[in-house]
Amino acid sequence: MFKKKLFLLILVVFFMACDKNDDQPQNTPVSIDFSHSFNQQAIDSSSFNALDYTNGFGTILSLTRLRYLISQISFTNQQGIKTLVKDYQLVDLSQDNSLAINDILLPPGAYNLKMRFGFTEAANTSSIYPDLNAASWNVPDMLGGGYHYMQLEGRWLDPGDDPDEPFLYAYHTISAVQNPGPDNTREDTSIEIDLGEITVTQGATQINVTMDINQWFENPNLWDLNTLNGMLMGNYTAQKMMQENGQTVFSLETNTGD
Amino acid sequence: MFKKIPLVFCLLCITLSCGEDDNQNQGYSPTPVNIAVPAIFSQLLPAPEIPANNQLTQEGVALGRALFYEKNLSADNSLSCAGCHKPNQGFSDQRRYSIGIDGIAGFRNSMPLVNIAWNTNNKFNWDGSADSLEEQVLEPVVNEIEMHNTWPNVEQTLQSDPNYLTKFEQAFGTTTISQDLIAKALAQFIRTLVSGNARFDNYLLGQATLTPLEQQGLAVFLDENRGDCFHCHGSPSNPLWTDNDFHNNGLDENFTDLGLGDITGDPAQFGLFKSPSLRNLAYTAPYMHDGRFQTLDQVIDHYSEGLIFSPTIDPLMKTVAQGGVQLTPQDKAALKAFLLSLSDPSLANNPAYQNPN
Repeated sequence: MFKKKLFLLILVVFFMACDKNDDQPQNTPVSIDFSHSFNQQAIDSSSFNALDYTNGFGTILSLTRLRYLISQISFTNQQGIKTLVKDYQLVDLSQDNSLAINDILLPPGAYNLKMRFGFTEAANTSSIYPDLNAASWNVPDMLGGGYHYMQLEGRWLDPGDDPDEPFLYAYHTISAVQNPGPDNTREDTSIEIDLGEITVTQGATQINVTMDINQWFENPNLWDLNTLNGMLMGNYTAQKMMQENGQTVFSLETNTGD
Repeated sequence: MFKKIPLVFCLLCITLSCGEDDNQNQGYSPTPVNIAVPAIFSQLLPAPEIPANNQLTQEGVALGRALFYEKNLSADNSLSCAGCHKPNQGFSDQRRYSIGIDGIAGFRNSMPLVNIAWNTNNKFNWDGSADSLEEQVLEPVVNEIEMHNTWPNVEQTLQSDPNYLTKFEQAFGTTTISQDLIAKALAQFIRTLVSGNARFDNYLLGQATLTPLEQQGLAVFLDENRGDCFHCHGSPSNPLWTDNDFHNNGLDENFTDLGLGDITGDPAQFGLFKSPSLRNLAYTAPYMHDGRFQTLDQVIDHYSEGLIFSPTIDPLMKTVAQGGVQLTPQDKAALKAFLLSLSDPSLANNPAYQNPN
């Protein structure tokens, strides 16, 4: 009888030892959603092709495609410990499953959320990401190599132009390159996005990061699509202007906890 | 010790009774097989996407190969899949429009069937009308201007062939032949059709050289101010040589064929067609979804000075106002030479792709 009691006691102790440590905060699910707007107007793939938007320059435009790369998505807690939750994400408005990162687990608390538009110079090596290669996201080596940061495409016209024959634009951002060709030199024009403090609460926490597309066209450089509408990848000056305009594109829209 | 034996026996019985349906699967042990991934694909691309419910097996692929060349899939037993997707023509058809069993021509050029396992967006056909390869292979069998058959008739025909009963038993563990299993077997075989042994592939692997003209052509291809082909047609980093996406590449002002828009009903997608791979252009003429261009020179001329504006034209056709990118004769010759270096002469004679029947 005594032996049985002793055995049961050992079992209880064993199972208790296997229990989670109650002193440690439990991880809770966190998701990051990427949303898009044009001057407060919400944009999704159903908004494509409509000449419904007017940029800061006064140009009327539509979107037909928006893809961009976000990398180094990290949360830094108040003790300064940084958790990298994803190396990169190719956001594509036509692919719903690319518009969120759902598999994040973090202890509740306050964090600083940072990410990067594009790749750092160190990460932007030609051909090393198979999924991005299959997505034709590459930049030819003669244009500096590596990968695109963004492909924003659509049609545009000035007020008074024939709406049935709009012009075309391809606003592609890459690492700025000088001397396109075999002897090019490349300059990192990726953008660190510091989204500030967010709070992860027990239960599901949803973070909404929004891109105001119009910022690409107006702040601080008013963008004239009459002159800068295509073949921008090898245009060093245009890439630098895009980098400047990209500083205010992203913001934290809301931070909701359940 | 003896007392424990009945307990172990009972546990074993319970465990065994949880197994799958033994009646259907008795003796069913197909051998898993992997796609032969070319070296350059292994370096640059994700692993091929195979549906969980249709993993490749030796027996399934062998059955699919037999079915691919099986003329009894058509109503009058005269036309197989290979009749319009010929190995020596890049698994395409050099006729502008393939001819169905009733002598009626289709209205699109036959799409090449290679490297389908890397079609990661899961949209098949020129117009994206099929969401999976298993779905895609169903349609030609019952299409009135192609094989013009019915699935019950196909199932009955194959069911009466003892050779196929054995093959289905080996591949799927059943002798009950269904259109679902036929589609699965065909899809398995088609996923094994891989083309990755062009001279340019070997150049990337350091095992071949390009001529100076081909190198110039590659530069034209990758130059945003000249060819700008890479945005839709891959690059040395994307050896599929397609983005597997849909574009209006400035062929027509008005559309007689709405392409993707015909499937989605979205006017913004009228006239959009899937970018075909640039592999095997030496064997896959004529070109474009409707086979309107007989030669590669005509294709290059189109992008150089033949672009036509329409409301859904792709913004990447940015020089449409000038009619195209205005290549010089030298650029055109170089681009053509480069494009032909993407052709894979080993595809046509690969013994694994030949008619086994």
